[in-house]
Amino acid sequence: MIAAVSGRVDSVNATSFEQELSKAMEGGSSRLVVDCGELSYISSAGLRILLLAVKKTRAQGGGVALCQVQDHVREVLEVSGFTRIMTVRDTVEQAIDSF
Amino acid sequence: MDVTLGIDVGMDQHEPRRVVEVFERFATANGISDLVVQRFCLALDEILTNVISYGFEKVPGKPRIRVDFGLGDGLLEVRIEDNGRSFNPLADAPLPDFTLPVDERPIGGLGIHLAKNLVHDISYRRDKKRNCLTLTQPL
Repeated sequence: MIAAVSGRVDSVNATSFEQELSKAMEGGSSRLVVDCGELSYISSAGLRILLLAVKKTRAQGGGVALCQVQDHVREVLEVSGFTRIMTVRDTVEQAIDSF
Repeated sequence: MDVTLGIDVGMDQHEPRRVVEVFERFATANGISDLVVQRFCLALDEILTNVISYGFEKVPGKPRIRVDFGLGDGLLEVRIEDNGRSFNPLADAPLPDFTLPVDERPIGGLGIHLAKNLVHDISYRRDKKRNCLTLTQPL
């Protein structure tokens, strides 16, 4: 399943991000690719949702792969230790191939 | 400080985003690099979200939160003050454990860690029953 996220994800809209990701995972696929090409900002409220998605997909034998991550967002992922628990690739195709 | 701007912050979960947007305009108008702006925005967001969510639990009196931006002498400074319960994020916030496997990682607790690690320097003092956090960045 491929989901795209854009703009800002912070404590104001983290809940709708969570709902969108849940919807994307409803189809039963445990492999989730998140296209972050248009994501300009993520705070810990958004990271929390990503972590939940990682836990959920891994429990089903899958995982989460991110792609097209902007530099600032990548720094946030690195400082948070998230690059250890999810795959980060340059392109959507590479993210899909990482599974 | 040559240029300063201060804003009072309300007890509303939408306030951090408003303050961040004011800071973005202030910093960009004064030629601060995108990288520093982005890092400070996140730190401000995380610290304010934390203060608004937890800083005033069981604290009597009217909550007051104030943020001041300053620029001068080759330094960018952001000061966050609140009259909530005594909390030093540099010492009192738990350190996240990145060696934990995914299923044992706690949900949350990353905000203060991000602020501490993305900003060049943060200092804390408790003064007249207020928490005072100062974020600085040499320019």
